[in-house]
Amino acid sequence: MNNLCADISYRSLNKHGEQLCGDMVQLVKDNDDTILVLADGLGSGVKANILSTLTSKIISTMIANKMSVEDCVSTIVSTLPVCKVRQVAYSTFTIVQIENNNFAHIFQYDNPKVILLRNGKNFDYPTKTHIISDKKVLESKIKLECNDLFITMSDGAVYAGVGQLLNYGWQRENIVEFLEGHYNEKMSAQSACSLLLDECNALYEDMPGDDTTIAAIKIRERLAVNLMFGPPRNPNDVNKMQAMFFAKQGKHIVCGGTTSNLTAQYLGKDLITSIDYLDSEIPPTAKIEGVDLVTEGVLTINRVMEYAKDYLGENKFNNEWRNKEDGASQIARILFDEATNINFYVGRAVNPAHQNPDLPIRFNIKMQLIEELSQALDKMGKVVNMSYF
Amino acid sequence: MKITICIGSSCHLKGSRQIIDRLQNLIAEKKLKDDVELCGAFCMKNCVNGVSVKIDDKIYSVTPDTVDNFFETEIEPRLA
Repeated sequence: MNNLCADISYRSLNKHGEQLCGDMVQLVKDNDDTILVLADGLGSGVKANILSTLTSKIISTMIANKMSVEDCVSTIVSTLPVCKVRQVAYSTFTIVQIENNNFAHIFQYDNPKVILLRNGKNFDYPTKTHIISDKKVLESKIKLECNDLFITMSDGAVYAGVGQLLNYGWQRENIVEFLEGHYNEKMSAQSACSLLLDECNALYEDMPGDDTTIAAIKIRERLAVNLMFGPPRNPNDVNKMQAMFFAKQGKHIVCGGTTSNLTAQYLGKDLITSIDYLDSEIPPTAKIEGVDLVTEGVLTINRVMEYAKDYLGENKFNNEWRNKEDGASQIARILFDEATNINFYVGRAVNPAHQNPDLPIRFNIKMQLIEELSQALDKMGKVVNMSYF
Repeated sequence: MKITICIGSSCHLKGSRQIIDRLQNLIAEKKLKDDVELCGAFCMKNCVNGVSVKIDDKIYSVTPDTVDNFFETEIEPRLA
């Protein structure tokens, strides 16, 4: 086990007018391995969706159970329903298997070739060609380096703009150039994925001519972030909670007024507050020596949660939290961009003053908030751990 | 003189920010910048009666509506 990990993100655009996507991504994680399969079914709509779902599901399940790619391919060939119109059963696929965060083992059949950016530049990795059940499958095994960025796509990405803004669409080389131009070391899988998919959508003028899917895998170092939110229900547990929190490696964020007072006491340091409102709705942050970030609790976390939901969906607040210095924006950057493992230490003490029905900060709202935030972070591919006190 | 205003969740929702803004304006208007220091605090354990404002270890309840009055009756006399 090394200190690397894979940050993974994928998203699809449906062909204009279609409700179902004919591309499908399956992600399987077990302890040492991560397997990502991107399949693109023949045609579009329901038929393509069924083909790609079957393909990706069969492959990911079989690979996860340590079966060979040969077996997977022959299983698919003999299982996929044959299209009545075209008399073929067909779905392309790309398999990226991250082994032990050490090697990427890639198998590609008929999708655009996976792009690998190493230190921001296109890296031409070697491939071997296998003929399996009359299909030409490319195999590569690549030793991973920190900051490697793999971009897997369906052919909708390279057709973007054909006959609309561009005569022949943009080719794989153009996509490579585009990515190299926008690359920066801190770029997450999610940002790479959104960046490229949004560009494709723009080339399609918001009316994709084909299902378009991007899956990005960024190899990065692990970073644990520990976030404490609220005092423990039993006041006798204060020291235990603080001790467990500070025993963890990584960054430490303390959220909540009472909670930060308790932390300052536990550490024997001063709590230094300010009155500079950087955002009118988010109370100012504070400082405690030995803590990376100290913020107010429920209002700040509520905003972080809004940012998290938006990040997974429309992504319209991206510029806001990336550039602002208020507590919520700072937490968002640490959790969404930097963290790979997030440990929540949630205290369940009830503040009687918050139980006023006029205030939007009642106890059950707080608990629901932290629950929703952890689910959103989970969707971002973070390893989230919850401890309640 | 040091005036501490609570900026915890509950007080924030009851108007800490407006109170800070108003006090800053009043202090500037009356040219008291050298005499009065405003600072923030996280939770004074007096959430029910927020917004909590502390002068010399005594906690007062202030609202955006009463802040002018509070300034006249509690802050100005102490400076005189």
